[in-house]
Amino acid sequence: MEDATLARWPMIAITTLRVFVGWHFLYEGIAKLTSPSWSAAGYLKQARGPFAALFKGLAAQPNLLANADLITMWGLTIVGILLILGLFTRLASLGGIGFIVLFYLCNPPFVGYFYSIPTEGSYLIVNKNLVELGALVVVLVTGTGRFAGLDRIVHGLVGRRPRLSA
Amino acid sequence: MAVEDTKRKDTARAGAAGPRKLDRRDVLKGLSTVPALGLFGYAWSRQRRYQQAKLEEAAPQAAPGALQEINVALLGAGAQGQVLTDAMLRIPGLRFRAVCDVWTEYNQKRVVNQMRKFKHEVNAYEDYREMLDKEKALDAVVIATPDFWHSQHAVDCLKAGKHVYCEKEMSNTLEGARAMVAAARDTGKLLQIGHQRRSNPRYLHCYKRLLGEAKLLGRIVTINGQWNRALTPDLGAPDRYAIPDARLKQYGFRDMRQFRNWRWYRGLGGGPIVDLGSHQIDIYSWFLGANPTAVTARGGNLYHDPVTHEWYDTAMVVYDYDTPLGPAMGYYQTQTTNGSQGYFENFMGDQGTLLISESDVHGAKLYRDTNAPAWDTWVQRGFIAAPKVQEVKEKADTAVTDVRESVSPDEHKVPIVMRDPVHQPHLQNFFDAVRGKATLNCPSEEAYATAVAVLKVNEAIEAKSRLAFAPEDFKI
Repeated sequence: MEDATLARWPMIAITTLRVFVGWHFLYEGIAKLTSPSWSAAGYLKQARGPFAALFKGLAAQPNLLANADLITMWGLTIVGILLILGLFTRLASLGGIGFIVLFYLCNPPFVGYFYSIPTEGSYLIVNKNLVELGALVVVLVTGTGRFAGLDRIVHGLVGRRPRLSA
Repeated sequence: MAVEDTKRKDTARAGAAGPRKLDRRDVLKGLSTVPALGLFGYAWSRQRRYQQAKLEEAAPQAAPGALQEINVALLGAGAQGQVLTDAMLRIPGLRFRAVCDVWTEYNQKRVVNQMRKFKHEVNAYEDYREMLDKEKALDAVVIATPDFWHSQHAVDCLKAGKHVYCEKEMSNTLEGARAMVAAARDTGKLLQIGHQRRSNPRYLHCYKRLLGEAKLLGRIVTINGQWNRALTPDLGAPDRYAIPDARLKQYGFRDMRQFRNWRWYRGLGGGPIVDLGSHQIDIYSWFLGANPTAVTARGGNLYHDPVTHEWYDTAMVVYDYDTPLGPAMGYYQTQTTNGSQGYFENFMGDQGTLLISESDVHGAKLYRDTNAPAWDTWVQRGFIAAPKVQEVKEKADTAVTDVRESVSPDEHKVPIVMRDPVHQPHLQNFFDAVRGKATLNCPSEEAYATAVAVLKVNEAIEAKSRLAFAPEDFKI
């Protein structure tokens, strides 16, 4: 399996990366959950780029927005916990990638688009969202949960069951 | 190498498919990142404690823990009622108890359903008097009915002992507006009028910091402002949701068309100068610290048929002011045939210009006039952003240059970003005042002065002449 082909130190490094990304997701989620008035509306309304109309439309419909808010808050929290623990790592990585793709497309730093809220850095095409997405792709393809994470135990437990085909 | 060997062992173990043993190493490695979650929990609890401490510091009188819950009813669930509802649903500590709207077939249902989705178990009413009779626990009523109903609704709610937030224009008649002020005074209940720019952080920053503390404009001499709105169609209503004629008549409407487009009709609304201009003319007086002394206005139905649009579709207005710093004039235009450049207010002083708008299209920008002292201190203090130097285009040799042309001033953005719905801070101010933690940003006396200034425009258009105000016109 491809997740076992890396040497030990690179795997430790990628595991650390996974925990860092998980930490960030978890805090983004928890900060929103514990804020009484958080809503994605502000971010969505600032949408720029080719998909701006879609995001703004979402912000304009209270019912859809309420769902989007819930999915974002809980999604980020759950993905964060799973990444830190290394549990269902691939599924969590995919979920995280999904979120980041949406965040990225909502305000893409493409040539000619600018973000109306002042940002803390300067970006062209690649921004920190995309870097975090890249980190999650590394986590996804290396499956570090089976190196250091609960996936290792889950995999072991599941693996111990006799297979029907055996 | 030992590391390589370990790696191979790991590799073999991790890569093995099928039955295998879960040994101590698997368990240890499997649990190796769990402490990170514990560390996160510790860091988060520290962060929570810090935030809590900051909050308590900011609001020393606040009861620890829970907010005092306010029982609220919405009276008028149309387009504006919807806007206010969306903003209120974001404000903590509110409990919606009732929704009242005469369009039970549509508007009332829509807002009731929305509130129920947000876990507010509201009762629906057609008649506000029945609501006031039955909903004894109400603390506050938010009114967003057509202008001609405001006075009666607000007065009755105040007399029933409720605090009232009423949309602007506070009334379509000055008698109605006076009755509202009187009712608020008699009952001692709060009456906030929905000139929501008065609570907008962007406007408050400009008023308190830029004009008040830093006096960046010097003496304001002229103002120009506008609200240009593109053509808006007849709002219409599907037949299956039509209100029966008897009910329409009962509530003062001729037919469904008039009910839906009441802003176009005399006796029901006040026309674009009231619907749109009122917000901005209110800011003219607020920023100048003076009510107008006279108004000159022209207007008419330049585009629309006066049969369907009884009010003027276009108005151009000049106000005279006598401010504490000297005379000033303010121009205002509103038209409803072209939305170009939207809405803004532009205050021009002898040291600088402030272009401000509730809309993010314009935001707020300051232009330093060349004869003004340097603004570096205010940039450093964060009152305004560093300047964007205006681009000077090289002129062709043949171009005729006016040697008296002023150098373009530097543009400074006002660094206030408004992320909430624009009505939210004003509603928040009202509910804070209900809790006794704030004073109203637009009490009825202030809004009355604005109503006097704005309603006079329609009179001036009618009279085709300059109409003067006496200082006592604004007092009540």
